[in-house]
Amino acid sequence: MPRRDLTIAMVGSGGDGVVTMGDMVAQAGAAEGLHVMKVEAYGPQIRGGESSCTVRVSADPIFAQGDEVQVLVVFNWADFARFRGEIICSEDAVVLYEATDETPHEEIDLGPVQEVRWVPVPFIQLAKESAGTTLAKNIVTLGLLTELFSLPKEPIERAITQKFSVKKAAVLEANLKGFAAGVEHAAQIEEEASGKRLQYAAGEPMLLMSGNEASAVGALHAGCRFFAGYPITPSSEILHFLSEWMPKMGGYLVQTEDELSAIGAVIGGSFAGVKSMTATSGPGLALMTEMLGLASLAEIPVVIIDVQRGGPSTGLPTKSEQSDLWQALWGSHGDAPRVVLAPSDVEDCFHATVAAFNIAEESQMPVIVLSDQFIAQRSETLSMIDLDHEVVGRQVPSAGDLRGYKRYKETKSGVSPMSWPGMKGGEYQTNGLEHTEDGSPTSMYLVHEKMNAKRYRKLRVVRDKYSTFKRYGAENADLGVICWGSSKGPVKEAVLRANGRGDRVAAFVPQLLYPFPYYEFQEFLKSVHEVIVVELSYSAQFYKYLRTFLDLPEGHTYVYKRSGGKNLTVGEVEDKINKVLEMSALRREVLV
Amino acid sequence: MSAAPANVEFKPGSYKTDLKPVWCPGCGDFGVLNALYRAMAKLQIEPWNTVILSGIGCSSRLPGYVTTYGFNGVHGRALTLATGVKVARPELTVIAVGGDGDGLAIGGNHFFHSCRRNLDVTYILMDNEIYGLTKGQVAPTTPTGDKTKSTYWGNPEPCVDPCELAISNGATWVGRGFAGDMKTLAELTAAALSHHGFSFLNVMSPCVTFRGDGQFKELKEKLQYVPEDHDPTKRASAIAYTREKDVLTTGVLYKVETPSMVDRLDSIKERAAAEGPTPSIQEILTTFFPSF
Repeated sequence: MPRRDLTIAMVGSGGDGVVTMGDMVAQAGAAEGLHVMKVEAYGPQIRGGESSCTVRVSADPIFAQGDEVQVLVVFNWADFARFRGEIICSEDAVVLYEATDETPHEEIDLGPVQEVRWVPVPFIQLAKESAGTTLAKNIVTLGLLTELFSLPKEPIERAITQKFSVKKAAVLEANLKGFAAGVEHAAQIEEEASGKRLQYAAGEPMLLMSGNEASAVGALHAGCRFFAGYPITPSSEILHFLSEWMPKMGGYLVQTEDELSAIGAVIGGSFAGVKSMTATSGPGLALMTEMLGLASLAEIPVVIIDVQRGGPSTGLPTKSEQSDLWQALWGSHGDAPRVVLAPSDVEDCFHATVAAFNIAEESQMPVIVLSDQFIAQRSETLSMIDLDHEVVGRQVPSAGDLRGYKRYKETKSGVSPMSWPGMKGGEYQTNGLEHTEDGSPTSMYLVHEKMNAKRYRKLRVVRDKYSTFKRYGAENADLGVICWGSSKGPVKEAVLRANGRGDRVAAFVPQLLYPFPYYEFQEFLKSVHEVIVVELSYSAQFYKYLRTFLDLPEGHTYVYKRSGGKNLTVGEVEDKINKVLEMSALRREVLV
Repeated sequence: MSAAPANVEFKPGSYKTDLKPVWCPGCGDFGVLNALYRAMAKLQIEPWNTVILSGIGCSSRLPGYVTTYGFNGVHGRALTLATGVKVARPELTVIAVGGDGDGLAIGGNHFFHSCRRNLDVTYILMDNEIYGLTKGQVAPTTPTGDKTKSTYWGNPEPCVDPCELAISNGATWVGRGFAGDMKTLAELTAAALSHHGFSFLNVMSPCVTFRGDGQFKELKEKLQYVPEDHDPTKRASAIAYTREKDVLTTGVLYKVETPSMVDRLDSIKERAAAEGPTPSIQEILTTFFPSF
């Protein structure tokens, strides 16, 4: 039986080319109109460490990486061991491994699986014989995989040709020979692939993007023309992408000396009237926190993307976690209103970034976009992104406002018209000191109270206009799953599968985290009986956050939380859904 | 900076706001402020096209006393804010001000990098060799051995010469002034504002409250001017005037012309523009289709 959905994992050392191999499969899949999700994982080494690449290709839409792999390629079992518990084989998976690696099978942990098809392959020997170099090992493997599992052959050959045509003709020729050798070798082990071949009908080509790229393009779409940032994994691709495109769009980009300078420059740029953004990860956001307070008090629109990684401290810099939530929400000296948004997939990185700029400009406030490594660095296929967004700018003073201009004029919404340098009559001093309506420093309690109220009032406008969320599944459900950010993918897939089985399950995923979308949450809670909160934070930051604003149904609320470092899987969400449904059923029996 | 229309004339007093300075009577910062008013009037600088940014400290209150756009930010970060303003809006005149603690201790990293980048900003450092706002602790410019509130046994650390730092880190205009010498200081301020690139003006600005009346007198006695034959384009001769002990040489110590930060960023923009017209977002997205 052919499959419509196949997940392949490849593991090797840096230099083995597993990422190139994954890239080519993903690109070829996108070219054929398949749905693709590609995730990479590395050790902390700069070069030569273990690396893995997992690609899921499917004829139908997918929302998560595959929990289990049906095909595993291992060049070196020692490297594979470093991903123990992270790459799980499905029952009856095909395990293609380097024939010269004699590690006994019983020493290898492939997960809770009874039986797999062990297939030794002389990758090194095939590469040497066909291409004359072991460097072509990955291309040989690509040939083998393509033939065995019916991957899109012609696009993969085009991908190889494109990659190596920039080099000497001999290099291209050697790689094509390697590919052919892989294809040829497939004939010898053909029967091992039975039941794992991909079947699909080719469609229109898809975009293949990462969340970081989507965030960067979203910023440009929203009108961002100044970016300042300091490199930090896993956010640096935003800096890289914009370093090319920002000047093409007529804007400026600076790589600053540290995160303090990055946020300072962004506040300066925005004060000067240009939409400005920085991107960082948890440790960088920590450094920016003092000036986050400045932007909040001085009412300067700024957008900060925090691509979360495992923490605290240097933590797990290359892996995902949802544990910067409290830092983003509450990281502050003093009462410093800010807005926090969370994109839930690659495309949403685009939309959330556009929304962040709109909110920042409208409410003159810092806005944090809480992305994370799982969505930021994975590649995902998308059909063209909808560009019909409203893009708004900040409210500027009228000619009347400029007579006796008061930058922090008391208004009903809390938002005061904001001038920028170049506007004659709009000159004012802003500062990190509490200030009166015209911006003059003051330490008076009465002014402080009034200005705090003005700054917090602006959150109402944001909540009323930007309480975006996603809801999936049954309208009235026995069970509702609440999650945020990148957990959405696996949760959505698990909920849709449960619905497919006839279980009444729903999911709620807010994009706006703060100000708290109270009414939207209440509506959802009213429509479900049991609740599971799902998150990748050991201390359950999201669950505790929800409890500060909501009365979750007592005795009917469950929490599934764990550390990051391994992406959430559909299977574990399904497992919890089933357990709670079962308990709920038992309870009903007792009540009757 | 752009010249004012013929019918507008700015006098030094035109730049004064209604806010009364919080500084102690006799503070050197009054001299710096007045010199700035005079320099701006000399150059007919339009307040609405000018931004003055600062960090935290006594001297960092200065933006509030000038009618330009002003930004009194957080401690040590004046130059980061100035970087953003200048890069985002290169046509503006951008001035950063602050004290020795703000600029050389907590903000030292940004000082180094602003010099290195030749950021098109004028940075005026009011050097009183002490922390004034926090009431008298040792600063990076406090002479070794001096007793302060935080150095009961005397300052155990060597001090830095801000001008030497600026020259060695790549600033393209470095001057030294004295708050008690208004005429020279106003000229130096105007020269700093007229420079293309990073201009750094270190002003000895006595703190009567925490360094005593003696500081002013002592500085005045040591005061001298760079000789007419000084060649400010020679790094070695400029450096020779730093770390002075018995004299205080004021004037333009160093001045060279190299491409500024904005020049270099603009040339990148030109190179990018040469590749074709500004792309639409749709066109950018299209680059994510597989390219083979």
